[in-house]
Amino acid sequence: MLVNTSRFGEVQVDETRFITFPQGILGFPNQKQYAMLQTGQDSYFYWLQAVDRPDLAFVITDPSLFVSSYKVPLKAEQMSSLGISTLDQAQVFVIVNKRDNSLTGNLQGPLVINVRDRVGEQLVLSDRRFTTRVPLIEIESPVLHAQAV
Amino acid sequence: MLVLSRQRDETIMIGDDIEITVVDIRGEKVRLGIAAPRSVQVHRKEVFQSIQNENTAATGVQINDLNVADKNLLASKHRKLSYGT
Repeated sequence: MLVNTSRFGEVQVDETRFITFPQGILGFPNQKQYAMLQTGQDSYFYWLQAVDRPDLAFVITDPSLFVSSYKVPLKAEQMSSLGISTLDQAQVFVIVNKRDNSLTGNLQGPLVINVRDRVGEQLVLSDRRFTTRVPLIEIESPVLHAQAV
Repeated sequence: MLVLSRQRDETIMIGDDIEITVVDIRGEKVRLGIAAPRSVQVHRKEVFQSIQNENTAATGVQINDLNVADKNLLASKHRKLSYGT
């Protein structure tokens, strides 16, 4: 089906691939269905696009690509509400933000997704080691270097 | 806001399914026990607020930011590979 997006125009998405967040994403409780869009073949990032709201989309990434020590503890009730019985049935993503000249990841509020059933939830972690703004990569534009002649 | 006074071990009901009990009071700190259905999220407000705010701010990331990030990431990956030979 065609999903209307403000960033990419109309995008054709297989609706069986939609990801449902029964409780929405914190701050956006009314949007429960999202499509995961890939913009480039080699990109480290995906866009989580709300199906019902063209202007609402989050950049997400796999935190293990950047922070190897990151682990998300899942309680039995959380595994049960996600419909998973083993940890490998879930995939973890974090929402990416831009602060100054870096992209940061919200490791305190990871998105945990049951890959088979396409159901997800944003968890709130109580471990204070991981903050809402963990630096992932600098995005100082390469063009600036060329101008210093 | 409804304000109620409770002593240790006393409970408040919110709707039919949510119970809050004063488990302990020690000086300035109150320990609260919350019994709620799994579908209801329960968090310290400042943590919840912080994540909510961060989610909202994150909707401002631009496509070009990612292009630059991917470029930098691929460049550093290639550097690592060449140093390994």
